[in-house]
Amino acid sequence: MIEIESAGLTDVGQKREGNEDAFFVDEKQQIFVVADGMGGHLAGEVASGIVVDTFGRFARGEDDCTEFAVPDDALSAEATRLVSCIRKANHEVFTKSRSDENCRGMGSTVAAIHSTGDTIIAANVGDSPIYFVRDGDIELISVMHTVAAEQAAIDPERLKLLPEKFLHMLSRAIGVSEDVQADVCETQCFKGDSFLLCSDGLSNLVAPNEMADIVSNNSAEEACRKFVDMANERGGDDNITVIVLRVKEVGSRKGTFRRFVMRLLGL
Amino acid sequence: MPSLILQFKDTEHGEFPLSTGSSITIGRRETNTIVIDNLAVSGNHAKVDCLDDGYLLTDLKSKNGTFVNGKIVSSHWLQKGDVISIGKHSLIFKLAEGEAPPPAHDMTEETMVLDTEEYRAMLDRSTPNMPAQSEKAERMGVLSFVKGGEGEYELKKKLVKIGKDDSNDVVVGGLMVAKTAATISKRPTGYYLNFVEGMSKPKVNGKAVKDSVLLKEFDTIEIGSLRMEFIIKE
Repeated sequence: MIEIESAGLTDVGQKREGNEDAFFVDEKQQIFVVADGMGGHLAGEVASGIVVDTFGRFARGEDDCTEFAVPDDALSAEATRLVSCIRKANHEVFTKSRSDENCRGMGSTVAAIHSTGDTIIAANVGDSPIYFVRDGDIELISVMHTVAAEQAAIDPERLKLLPEKFLHMLSRAIGVSEDVQADVCETQCFKGDSFLLCSDGLSNLVAPNEMADIVSNNSAEEACRKFVDMANERGGDDNITVIVLRVKEVGSRKGTFRRFVMRLLGL
Repeated sequence: MPSLILQFKDTEHGEFPLSTGSSITIGRRETNTIVIDNLAVSGNHAKVDCLDDGYLLTDLKSKNGTFVNGKIVSSHWLQKGDVISIGKHSLIFKLAEGEAPPPAHDMTEETMVLDTEEYRAMLDRSTPNMPAQSEKAERMGVLSFVKGGEGEYELKKKLVKIGKDDSNDVVVGGLMVAKTAATISKRPTGYYLNFVEGMSKPKVNGKAVKDSVLLKEFDTIEIGSLRMEFIIKE
């Protein structure tokens, strides 16, 4: 198991009346989730709330989400489990939006990290990014499900042809259709590596190199505080939510030499 | 008072004043304020509402779309010099001499989820000659065995484990090789080779990897008795 130091913070920002973001941190089970809800009149709050509650039940072992597991050759068993929880959350939000008049059309993003042994699994739907910071370098390990990002990936020229309103649109979200496909990244992690999950209320106002700088030079808790303050100083257009995690120790590396000697000695 | 000037192939076909409080409709049907008799134009194609705080153009779910300055719009606050295209006709938004421009409107909307059908239809219209997204070739990394194995291993999994133990995706022999010696992870930015544990570190192009390195095409990877080349396939 790896040892993780983490912190999470959410703030309503300067312009919005309510906070439609939600986050979930479980250091013991090593599950970390940011959800950014959408849909007017409190429905966004309901959607992101359902997402984090689903992860809460999953982390506590109250719901293993196996009925939503889809075998996928590309994924490890742990990654498959994490994806099944995302699909479960999608089902919950979708069902609620269908059955409750006040929640019609609501949706949410999800950015989730789960660590198992010495690897980290990052999975996401929507535009809440997951960043990976190592030695001061920052890398996006989630996939942006926005019309703009998808079009730019095909051809940057296409962006010029897109009408403004499409640029702000999500091409995928939790709770808008019966099923959802998450993008997954599974990678090795090392002592000192950091990860950052946030809502677009932060990523629209703070650049990746600034994030790398703050994450590298502060404790997880201080970094979260600084991020929220920074986004608010720059206008705080949207709700701001951020989780920072840092890998303190990777278990499998400990005692490697001893195990090797023991093996040589046939013990 | 601003007006819309109807043009077809550089010839003017009329000027329509936009007086505040009125609504101008555009379409093929005779009931419209601006009638364009062309099959590319829907019966009721678009409208302009002349409001206190500006002139709002709205596409009335027309079959072939309403464009402003080459971009398709569902609704748009008209600004000085805007050219509306409907079929092969143009409507130019013109201010009277010395008239103050209408106030700017912030068109940034709250995050919305895309209506896929609307989106596809829009793309078909505004980018007709570009390939659909699904046609984009997926690139996949492949390990080609040079020594210690035969053939190729396709890096389909997000995380490929390499080591001595049978539970690994690629099994490699050698006393110095750990249970799981290395992994290759597929990240949005590329494939990374990671050192996991063991007395001897994996090597990329002869250089020991102490944590993680981004693989480039034709890199040589050595782990224990295994030597492989990293290749990208379309």
